[in-house]
Amino acid sequence: MISIQRRSGSSLRWNVVCFSAAILCAFLSSAALLALSGGDAVKGFSALFTGAFGSQNALFGSLAKATPLLLVGLGTVIAFRAKIWNIGQEGQVLAGAMMAYWASLMVGSLPYWVALTVIALAGLLGGGILGLLAGYLKTRFGTNEVISTVMLNYIVIFFLAYLLDGGPWMETGVTVAYHQSPPVNPSLEWPDLFARGAGKLHIGFLFALAASAFCAILIDRTSLGYDIRAFGSNPTALRFRGTNVRRLLLVVMLLSGALAGLAGAGELFGTAHRLRAETLLGIGSSGIVVAMVGGLRPSGVMLAALFFGALKSGAIYMRLQSGTPAGLVSAMEGLVLLFFLCAVVATKFQIVRSNVHA
Amino acid sequence: MENLLSVQNLTKRFGPVTANDGVNLEVRKGEIHCLFGENGAGKSTLSSCLYGYYRADSGVIRFKGEVAELNSPADALRLGIGMVHQHFVLVSNFTVLENIIVGSAGTGLFLTKSDARRKISELCESCGLSIDLDREIWELSVGEQQWVEILKALYFGAELLILDEPTAVLTPQQSDQLFRILDGMRMRGLSIILISHKLREVMQSDRVTILRKGRAIATVETSETTAEAITALMVGHKVSKHVRDRSVEPAGEVLAVDRACAIGEWGEDILKDVSFNIGRHEILGLAGVAGNGQKELFETLMGVRALSSGGFSLEGEAITKPTSREMLDRGIGFVPDDRSLEGLIPEFGAAENLILGWQRAREYCRGPFLDRRKMDALARRKIEEFKVVTASADLPVERLSGGNAQRIILAREFLHSRGLLLANQPTRGLDVAASEFVYEKILEKRAAGFAVLLASEELDDLLRLCDRIAVIFKGRIMGIVRPEETTLLELGMMMAGDAKDVQRTVQ
Repeated sequence: MISIQRRSGSSLRWNVVCFSAAILCAFLSSAALLALSGGDAVKGFSALFTGAFGSQNALFGSLAKATPLLLVGLGTVIAFRAKIWNIGQEGQVLAGAMMAYWASLMVGSLPYWVALTVIALAGLLGGGILGLLAGYLKTRFGTNEVISTVMLNYIVIFFLAYLLDGGPWMETGVTVAYHQSPPVNPSLEWPDLFARGAGKLHIGFLFALAASAFCAILIDRTSLGYDIRAFGSNPTALRFRGTNVRRLLLVVMLLSGALAGLAGAGELFGTAHRLRAETLLGIGSSGIVVAMVGGLRPSGVMLAALFFGALKSGAIYMRLQSGTPAGLVSAMEGLVLLFFLCAVVATKFQIVRSNVHA
Repeated sequence: MENLLSVQNLTKRFGPVTANDGVNLEVRKGEIHCLFGENGAGKSTLSSCLYGYYRADSGVIRFKGEVAELNSPADALRLGIGMVHQHFVLVSNFTVLENIIVGSAGTGLFLTKSDARRKISELCESCGLSIDLDREIWELSVGEQQWVEILKALYFGAELLILDEPTAVLTPQQSDQLFRILDGMRMRGLSIILISHKLREVMQSDRVTILRKGRAIATVETSETTAEAITALMVGHKVSKHVRDRSVEPAGEVLAVDRACAIGEWGEDILKDVSFNIGRHEILGLAGVAGNGQKELFETLMGVRALSSGGFSLEGEAITKPTSREMLDRGIGFVPDDRSLEGLIPEFGAAENLILGWQRAREYCRGPFLDRRKMDALARRKIEEFKVVTASADLPVERLSGGNAQRIILAREFLHSRGLLLANQPTRGLDVAASEFVYEKILEKRAAGFAVLLASEELDDLLRLCDRIAVIFKGRIMGIVRPEETTLLELGMMMAGDAKDVQRTVQ
């Protein structure tokens, strides 16, 4: 008789089997989707791969796309490991970009590296404050953070819309309103890591790498990380054992939002160079997907961010080459998440074959 | 007399735990039959099997002579077995009438209220119950809500009604009323199974079956026995191993609690004027039926629950507005009764759980970083010293047995505490050997000069371990007695709240 039972431990071999199966399923179903939408699956995928990794330029493009996803993913990991469901990354990315933009309007006279630091800190602060606000609502009024973070997204989105459409940050002197700010002061753009022509990868990538190391150490090796993991497993015991869990919740929301905010600042000053909602929306939700697919571990999130960054970057090339619809990549992203979540569940079970006894 | 229900050899296991072990039970038509036993004796499991919530692993349940296949509460209700839970299942903005008929079969789209109203009125009358069927549930008292639950079961044709600790939520007056109603039902030929651990209620039943550790010890006619005999059967006897060293005398005062009061969510008294003190080299036992304020007393002493008035002092120093952090820093060891909820991080291994509460202490940290080397060394030492059976120091403790999990808590609390140890039900769910290990360690602390507050439902254990025993009932200390000057019977009576004649306090 074959039965499915809950596993008592975890087995590396079975994990590899589950996740390989998930990747295969995601690949096959994406190919099917591609074929259904009238494209050539083989040509499409090869274009996707070429666009993502085919040249140094392409590779740097993928890394640049991965950068904000990695930052948001890491912030998500910090919150989700504590089982605090911050899903307001969209708003936190915007808030970080807005705060950074605001800071950039005031730091023009400062030395370049000081100004850059101030802008990055403002990005962290913007996202962090928004996260903190949701945390405060939870600790003070017991507001569910799932609801408050999503609702705060709307407030931020509409506030930005006001600022860019008739508000103080609207680009003036153009005949058509594009709902965007004027370009940031070129002297305040974040520097590229490599010389012109080698591919565009801004310094935010280094920030994201540093943030990865920071998170990995924070979660596994520090007292705060201990608290975060303990809170996720059993907040009652943590409270009984002398930890101020309200303060902990605020710290977690602050850190989680701050990393998303830095992602927003990086996109604005490293890539887009002007404040515009369209360039920032979607990063937050993709970042959550990255965190989930990465198994809520910083190392996993790095891999997942690279994967999704490559997907986004390669998709542009694929669209040019094979004319596949733009929405397809979002659908593929969703499929990957679905199959990975299935794999996560599958790793917790095992298939047992037992002889039937009379 | 005719048996309405007969249970033969019923066994129910939950993993390694045998909750009901070959239980036999016979309930006659028209009797109030009490299931009596300590917490964890198997009363609730047995009743859950009877109304189809659990399926027994083995054994036969006969109802009206026929073998009953009970796969769900619906099956039980169809046969005529109804259950009234401690927590009511009522829709608060529906009327009494609507609550009773909701879910009744055969009404189609429209509820035929007039027929139902007539039938329910008849039921009320025959049981001597008066209730306005058109009032909404939220307008009713807790006692009246319970009547609705009873009516609901009767309306669905229950001939056997199971009541799970029905007076737990009632005032004494409401309890009396309830028993008058039950009496009326008995007169109509209905049978009632009453789950209780209150002696006063047991004595109002026709017969009582005593459960202990999953077994039905005896069934006796209430009129032919005494409260003392029933208590003795409930408590049972056990081989004692460790006893306290009487040559060491308590001295001084480590903890002094002075008229501590705490109020619950609904304004009810949880602790009322609780006063006691514990000296060095002293174990003060806390006896009481679960849910009489023990847990809350420990929580206030650990700084996780606020007192409404009164207070306590530690080593002569008054503690105002304590926090759990402060109490840990003052060197209080705490073994909570619900160890998986309050004492351990289930996903953490032994190494990390051993420093829970001390994850920022200098001993285990270097700056903001945890010192894994020191943690691992500590874990190795403690796993050996406390004989914890675990595959590794990082194996999540949720995979350990209760006894091993408890050893980790004890190791942690004994390591970090200085002077005062609070232990609430430290042997709950442990087998005899594991319990003795816990007691041995607690006695070591007594020898080392600790003051210990030890709550337990095992009265025998308290009698051999404690220097004095305080009995708590409904948040009040009914008295403090010396083990050599008391009896199980006296303790049992005080635990049941009948302490008027025996209330006394020794210093």
